Amino acid sequence: MIPSDHFVRFYNELFKFLETLPPEEMQAYYRSISEHQEMHTLALFKEKGLKGMYEYWDHIRFEENCDLELELHEDRLVKRMKKCPSLSKVLDNDASPCYSYCNHCPGWVIPVLEKAGYVAQYDIIDHRKPCCRSVIYPASSGKKSSITASEEGKAQK
Amino acid sequence: MLRYQENNELHRDFHGNTDSAIRYFAGRYGEEKIKEILRRTGHDVYKSIREKLAKNDPSELLEHLVWFYHREGAEFDLKVTANEIRFEVFECPAHKHLRRLGLPVEPINCLQTSEVNAGMCEGTGWTSSVEHIGDDHCVQIFRKEK
Repeated sequence: MIPSDHFVRFYNELFKFLETLPPEEMQAYYRSISEHQEMHTLALFKEKGLKGMYEYWDHIRFEENCDLELELHEDRLVKRMKKCPSLSKVLDNDASPCYSYCNHCPGWVIPVLEKAGYVAQYDIIDHRKPCCRSVIYPASSGKKSSITASEEGKAQK
Repeated sequence: MLRYQENNELHRDFHGNTDSAIRYFAGRYGEEKIKEILRRTGHDVYKSIREKLAKNDPSELLEHLVWFYHREGAEFDLKVTANEIRFEVFECPAHKHLRRLGLPVEPINCLQTSEVNAGMCEGTGWTSSVEHIGDDHCVQIFRKEK
C-alpha cells in the first residue's frame, strides 16, 4: 500500500512519465482526474455556487493540512495558498520533482468549475514554490479562465 | 529513523486517487508501464530504505511498515527473523477505504504493494513478494538473498 501520506510523491512520478510524452497525454490525464473529482464537487458547486466552493476548500484545507486563506465575496472566491502541502512533499523528496507538478491543480479544477458555470484565474507564482493564488468568478462576469506564473524567471532578469 | 515524518491529518481519499491512477495508466499505457512507475516510486522515493537494506539494515523498512499501517488503522502482525520479514495485514486500509467510497476493489490495486516493495529492494540483496490470503488480507515478505 502506498500510504495516503505519500500519494503525492507517487503522483509526481506519474507526471514525470507524462512529461516525456506529447502534451496531449498530460491534458488527457487532467481530464481524467477532473472527471473523478466531479463526483465530490460538481453537484455542490452547481447547487451552492461560490459558497459551495468555499465549503469544499474549507474542508480540504483541514484534511490536507493546507495553509490556505479563503475569502468569500458576493462576486468571487479568492484562494491564497500560503503553503501547499502537496508541492511541499514533492519538494521534500529523495526523487526529483516534476517541473509542471503544480499544473495538475488548475488542470482538474478549471474544467469542473466551467461545467458548473464559473471560471478561475490561477497564478501559480513559481513552480518551485509551494504557494499560489486563484480567484473564481461566475462565467457571467465575462472573465476567462487563465493560468500564469507571475514570479517565474524574475530572478534571472 | 523515517525519512518522511508524517503525523498530521490523514487524507484517506488519496487511496481513491492511487487506485484510479493505477487503472488509468494500466488501461492507457499497459500494465508493464504502471508497474515500472510504481517500481521507480519504490526505488527513488524510498531511497533511504533501499540504501539501508543494501547495508543489511532493515530498520527503516520495519519502521515504515509499522508506522504507516498503524497510522491508517490496520490490524497487522510482524515477524522478523535473521533473513526474513513477514508483515501480515488482515484488512488492507486502502481496500477498506475504497469500499467506504463505494468503489470496486480489483486485484490490480495490489500492484502498489508488490511493485513499490520490489523497487525498494532493487539491487540490495533483498527480494520481496506478496502472498494473497483473501481479497483484503495479505502477507508482505522480504527475504535476504543467500
